[in-house]
Amino acid sequence: MTDTSSTNIPISPRQAMIRRALRHKGLIFGTVVMAVVILIAIFAPLLTEYDPYKQNLLTRMKPPVLLGGDPDHWLGTDALGRDYWARLAYGARVSLTIGIVAAVISATIGCTLGILAGYFGGRVDAVVTFLINVRLAMPVVLVALAVVALLGGSLIVVISVLGLLLWDRFAVVLRSATMQVRSLEYIAAAEVLGASLPRILVKDILPNVMNHLIVIFTLEMAHAIILEAALSFLGLGVQPPTPSWGLMISEGKEMLLFESWLITIPGVALFFLVLAINMMGDGIRDVTAPEGRN
Amino acid sequence: MKLPNLLAASAIALSAGAMSAQADKADDTLRLAFTKELETVDIYFNSAREGILLARAIWDGLLYRDPVTGEYKGNLATEWKWIDDVTLELKLREGVTFHNGEPFNADDVVYTVNYVANPDNGIVVQRNVSWMDRAEKVDDYTVRIILDAPFPPAEEFLAGPVVMYPNEYYAEVGPAGMALNPIGTGPYKVSSVDPGLHYELEAFDGYHGDPRNAASIGKIDIRTIPDFNTQIAEFFNGQLDFLWNVPADQAEKLDAMGKYQVENAEAIRIGFISMDASGRADADGPMTNPLVRKAVAHAIDRQAIVDALVKGSSEVVHSACAKIQFACEQDVAQYEYNPEKAKALLAEAGYPDGFEIDFHAYRNRPYAEAMMGFLDEVGIKTNLVYLKYSALRDARSKGEVPFTFQTWGSYSLADASAIVGEHFTGGMLDDAKDAEVTAWVNEADSTTDKDKRIGLYSKALKKIADEAYWLPLWSYNVNYVMSQEVSYAPTNDEIVRFFDFSWK
Amino acid sequence: MFRFILKRLGLAVLVAFTVSAISFALLFLAGDPATAIAGENAASEDIAIINAQYGFDRPLIVQYLDWLSKAVTGDLGQSWYFKLPVSQIIGDRLPTTMTLGLCAISFALILSIPMGVAAAARPNSIIDRFALFIAVVGQAIPSFWFGLLLVVFFSIQLGLVPASGSGTWRHFILPTVVLGYYATPAIMRLTRAGMIEVLSADYIRTARAKGLPTRKIMFKHALRNAIIPVVSLAAVQMGFMLGGSIVVESVFALHGAGFLAWESISRNDLPTMQALILIFSMFYITFTFLADVLNAWLDPRLRVG
Repeated sequence: MTDTSSTNIPISPRQAMIRRALRHKGLIFGTVVMAVVILIAIFAPLLTEYDPYKQNLLTRMKPPVLLGGDPDHWLGTDALGRDYWARLAYGARVSLTIGIVAAVISATIGCTLGILAGYFGGRVDAVVTFLINVRLAMPVVLVALAVVALLGGSLIVVISVLGLLLWDRFAVVLRSATMQVRSLEYIAAAEVLGASLPRILVKDILPNVMNHLIVIFTLEMAHAIILEAALSFLGLGVQPPTPSWGLMISEGKEMLLFESWLITIPGVALFFLVLAINMMGDGIRDVTAPEGRN
Repeated sequence: MKLPNLLAASAIALSAGAMSAQADKADDTLRLAFTKELETVDIYFNSAREGILLARAIWDGLLYRDPVTGEYKGNLATEWKWIDDVTLELKLREGVTFHNGEPFNADDVVYTVNYVANPDNGIVVQRNVSWMDRAEKVDDYTVRIILDAPFPPAEEFLAGPVVMYPNEYYAEVGPAGMALNPIGTGPYKVSSVDPGLHYELEAFDGYHGDPRNAASIGKIDIRTIPDFNTQIAEFFNGQLDFLWNVPADQAEKLDAMGKYQVENAEAIRIGFISMDASGRADADGPMTNPLVRKAVAHAIDRQAIVDALVKGSSEVVHSACAKIQFACEQDVAQYEYNPEKAKALLAEAGYPDGFEIDFHAYRNRPYAEAMMGFLDEVGIKTNLVYLKYSALRDARSKGEVPFTFQTWGSYSLADASAIVGEHFTGGMLDDAKDAEVTAWVNEADSTTDKDKRIGLYSKALKKIADEAYWLPLWSYNVNYVMSQEVSYAPTNDEIVRFFDFSWK
Repeated sequence: MFRFILKRLGLAVLVAFTVSAISFALLFLAGDPATAIAGENAASEDIAIINAQYGFDRPLIVQYLDWLSKAVTGDLGQSWYFKLPVSQIIGDRLPTTMTLGLCAISFALILSIPMGVAAAARPNSIIDRFALFIAVVGQAIPSFWFGLLLVVFFSIQLGLVPASGSGTWRHFILPTVVLGYYATPAIMRLTRAGMIEVLSADYIRTARAKGLPTRKIMFKHALRNAIIPVVSLAAVQMGFMLGGSIVVESVFALHGAGFLAWESISRNDLPTMQALILIFSMFYITFTFLADVLNAWLDPRLRVG
């Protein structure tokens, strides 16, 4: 956790922040795990000689080396004889993409609506608040399921649906943050001086809410990854043979009671990824807002 | 939560299983599970396998087909003869009563047939009933069923899906009442229905007992458990005595545990790939080219998929029907696994680098994935579109599906018309739209001359294979897993007959 | 207060109406209903008959208005799948989901509020760290996997609880834990954050300075204020749970409304689906509305908004 020790030597806020960051175990853990996953995703082709799509029906469900399997496939093979490590490594790309892109889409929608509501207030605010209410009142999983069932699951559909459904938190936070900033005197002054809206946004509002944004971004990214796994569990996630972790879990589920490593390996990978993203989010919040933590 | 811990944790699960003694034999109750929520018990208003299972226990047909010999026997009718091509006269069994005490006689047959044959009543599977025009009472125990046109598999339908309802009761309660409180003449009566969730059956003391045996096990308790892992967990816990439709891998593992009886039986269902030969989805699409369709046939190692994934008693099929069906010609063109030949054919067809196409499927995703892997090897890149059955069927009806993995269970009917008739007579599911094939099949289905039917089906099935309209894949099989206390010999028609179960 | 309630109510009705309109349009596009009604083994002629019977050829808007005008009078139509009144089916399933939802939210509150308070009382202590650990794990573990692991341990291995079904209270133990745990992290974090903020407020410092016992300060003064946002969050979570228990209900064969909704999607049973979405959003709206009223009562300052 944070250690807000006071020192005698005066330091700049930035230095203090870095210092807090380096002492924050959760943040360090989260960042390291994230970095590892990102590296695996980027360098997947270098980390395995196997093609994650290449099946071999003669070598199905070979257990990992740890459980006495073949050293050729150190994490074993799946139900179609594809190398499990290769699928996991390439799957990191898919799972990260889902998380990041869905969060970017939500952030874009949520921020736009939130800023508009916060800045203009009045009717615009009423409409946006209404939209947020409608969005919150919709059962997310159900709506996502219905849409994916309609369009057929593909990476693009899943990402878009999740992106379109997870924007509410961005909107809520940006709305109140913008309102707060808007009421500050110097914004009014800037307006009087003829500064344009985009300029005020970029110079005054965004920097003020940046840390909030990052925290929500990580939360929603984790949320999107978990939701994709749930959609896959119900058979409506990313379509095979694309190696997403959620899909691997759902495929491994079939043999849960007999070859439990099939679900445990991608399950643990997903668990650590989501854990790391959340810990990063927590860490960033702690480090940037040492007083409150809320 | 370290990796080895979790691995170990879930692995020990297997060492469990030494559960408390099962109370099922003691209380004479056989417990099993449905995976799907059955819409209604009224057999005329559902089209599900679960519905057929219940129907065979609750009701009787006029005839009965011995599942082992395939011979037709009398059931509610004791004798039957064709007066002419479209008139069947049946003598009914006397002394039969329904579960509610209503006596069975000609009025019940006339009422049931007239009710189901009337399209306004909206029977779900029209094919099962639409061949009958009406029934007429001759005397209390003699009826005539009049057909619209000659219909060769009439006996098969009278022994299967067409079951007899009590006229007074059904007239009073209708399908909704029948769904909640089903009344039939069968070996089991229904003691409680919680729609879609839970069914309790009880042996019917007054069962007539011929040609089917009266029930041996006193009670059948059926719960719906959607997740198959949960079903296996309940089986381990002794809360279920019988698992059906067990996937091949799980069945193997359960067998290896040595504590359960694992039985495998063939099914009438076959898998096939249908290709858009008539160009409905894409008039200039690759699938309109017979060379491409043949390339697909050569590209997929069906035997390897059967050996590795489908397993059991399944085998590769070459003809567009199930071997045990009447008039299913086996001597048709065969396409062996030969990726080089597939590539050559693709090149000849003008696709030297292959092509990309959507591949629609609705069940057995691993099989679909395996086929995609083989297609990929020869340069056919497939995008899997995995849909719910209804959505896929809808897309197929609209002709939007160029290339699809399908299966067909032929309503458990042992006649080629149940599959070929549905898919090659110009209907919405007909991707070939071959006028010649349509004409042969229609002619075959309007004559009762068995040799003539065999000849016509042979011509049709040969052409289907020659043109590679379909790539028939494999026959399906069903795995049944039972606790040691249960005795049951599965049959080859995917139907679980509760009245054939007994305790060891 | 009355005006506040009236205004919130009006908004709630409008929200419910919008949700139902959007979902109706969405669902109707989700595949041909006639095929869904006919089922897997149906022949082509069966489908044509159904299409005519149910009037699927009418324009979407007409069908929606037709549905809405009946729904307002409480007639939710017939399930296309079960051929029974939708209200009857939902009436059968809803108690299961409600029981599960209430148990789960109680479990979550009982677990997370004391833990949040304890964590806030001593930030960075072992308790705080443990609470944080529970929270991050809860956010990161997919609920179906967690559920199946619990089944393996507590049901198959130890034989303590049933693996599936909803017959007795023992059947609800595992699903409650899984679903409740899902809601725990958010509630605990909010409790902790709220408590930390309140504890640093002037009046608490004054109370401390006056020598009031810590326990009294924590529970009587601090928690009462910190709980306000928690009430709203719990209401939101409750709303989510009722609609989001699909996965849990599926794993434990609970056959509640959540699972019914999911199955209804795959069966294209529009009347059931439509009614369920309406009911779920009504639940959400009701809970948040109640939370608002409760909060306004707890904290009069909020009544203005």
